[in-house]
Amino acid sequence: MGDSQYSFSLTTFSPSGKLVQIEHALTAVGSGQTSLGIKAANGVVIATEKKLPSILVDEASVQKIQCLTPNIGVVYSGMGPDFRVLVRKSRKQAEQYHRLYKEPIPVTQLVRETAAVMQEFTQSGGVRPFGVSLLVAGYDDNGPQLYQVDPSGSYFSWKASAMGKNVSNAKTFLEKRYTDDMELDDAVHTAILTLKEGFEGQISGKNIEIGIIGTDKKFRVLTPAEIEDYLAEVE
Amino acid sequence: MSNSVIEVPPKGGFSFDLCKRNEMLAKKGVNPPSFRKTGTTIVGLVFQDGVILGADTRATEGPIVCDKNCEKIHYMAPNIYCCGAGTAADTEAVTDMVSSQLQLHRYHTGRESRVVTALTLLKRHLFNYQGYVSAALVLGGVDVTGPHLHTIYPHGSTDTLPFATMGSGSLAAMAVFESKYKEGLTRNEGIELVTEAICSGIFNDLGSGSNVDVCVITKGGKEYLRNHLQPNPRTYTNSKGYSFPKKTEVLLTKIIPLKEKVEIIEGGDAMEE
Repeated sequence: MGDSQYSFSLTTFSPSGKLVQIEHALTAVGSGQTSLGIKAANGVVIATEKKLPSILVDEASVQKIQCLTPNIGVVYSGMGPDFRVLVRKSRKQAEQYHRLYKEPIPVTQLVRETAAVMQEFTQSGGVRPFGVSLLVAGYDDNGPQLYQVDPSGSYFSWKASAMGKNVSNAKTFLEKRYTDDMELDDAVHTAILTLKEGFEGQISGKNIEIGIIGTDKKFRVLTPAEIEDYLAEVE
Repeated sequence: MSNSVIEVPPKGGFSFDLCKRNEMLAKKGVNPPSFRKTGTTIVGLVFQDGVILGADTRATEGPIVCDKNCEKIHYMAPNIYCCGAGTAADTEAVTDMVSSQLQLHRYHTGRESRVVTALTLLKRHLFNYQGYVSAALVLGGVDVTGPHLHTIYPHGSTDTLPFATMGSGSLAAMAVFESKYKEGLTRNEGIELVTEAICSGIFNDLGSGSNVDVCVITKGGKEYLRNHLQPNPRTYTNSKGYSFPKKTEVLLTKIIPLKEKVEIIEGGDAMEE
């Protein structure tokens, strides 16, 4: 392919108009563990598989879903260490916004600033794009919101979305199951069913992670026990 | 890249380049505006279940009371509060900044903030500015290691005490504490003692006045009692309102409108010299 001659440098366009490094970054995301998000009428749920490399790993120490502000949470597909860096930067930006304007940062603003950081790393020298796509879930004055941010720095608002290994099956499933007037609990069930679709092995409260935010505007990650309860309801 | 020489102070710290100019201006009688100082009586004490902080509510600008009911007990973390004396802007900015840093720290560690963390962040900042950030603070809170109370001086030194007072009214308040404080006070005894100490500052110090704010912090949570006591109400207001004497009577009103005559000429030549 003619493209491959231009794939060495991030900051050089290929003749077809693509930045090949970003395409590769998206591939890295596509081979990451499945994660998805669903926006309900009264909240948002984000979930991800938590497949650990070995049974010896202490799964309680792995937290894939993180809180950025009390009312905004985020999950990823792709490279974990890149995710940690982005979470750190986003938290700092949210805090700086709060210090300056004395209001909690709106979800769109935080997404925009995070996307700007990711874009910076596609137009600078000596750096590589982040190998993660983020699903940002938040609840502010504009109601529940779900955004997906890609390694290129582009972001979209979704009613329901999935990323990672099983993305096409997951999205088809979500398209069939999604309704505009879903309640948060229904959304959690749908999220679990979607994860179950492509899950290898036995799904349990210990190998998936779910984060929800409701009308109370407090983002929280469900405990394994709570996830088991939802799993039992779904069976 | 700019070519001009920009006087940039080294990382952190103030640039004192304008001091000579200010001195010269002061000699000529042009004084800089006076800034708002809190004057203040602020206190804190440790009781059996936690910490109680107290403060008066007067803010002064030189000899004038500029705020009769300001808030001197600042939020640092859900379990840590800080009273501030000195220059109001400095205390507010410094507590705001450290509160922000504590929030980020909480996200990164996933744990409740500790009082010593807030203490160290504050004292490092104040020491860096060599006392020019005029903030004298009483920091109190309850964390996993127990209840803590500290005082922080503008130059960055700190004390850890069972009871503490700061501000211009600190001597009046300390007199009350020294005579009446004992270990193992109950919540109500503690609030009463704090209120008494602040009142002593309010009535005996010109820099303190108006109302008493109290904040009780325990392991279970915090109670911010804003204006817990109001010993200085405005009592002598006329309930009928005020009527001012009539001004000079108006005998005659005559309005002459000014008519502007504007002639619009169409076409015409361009402006001549």
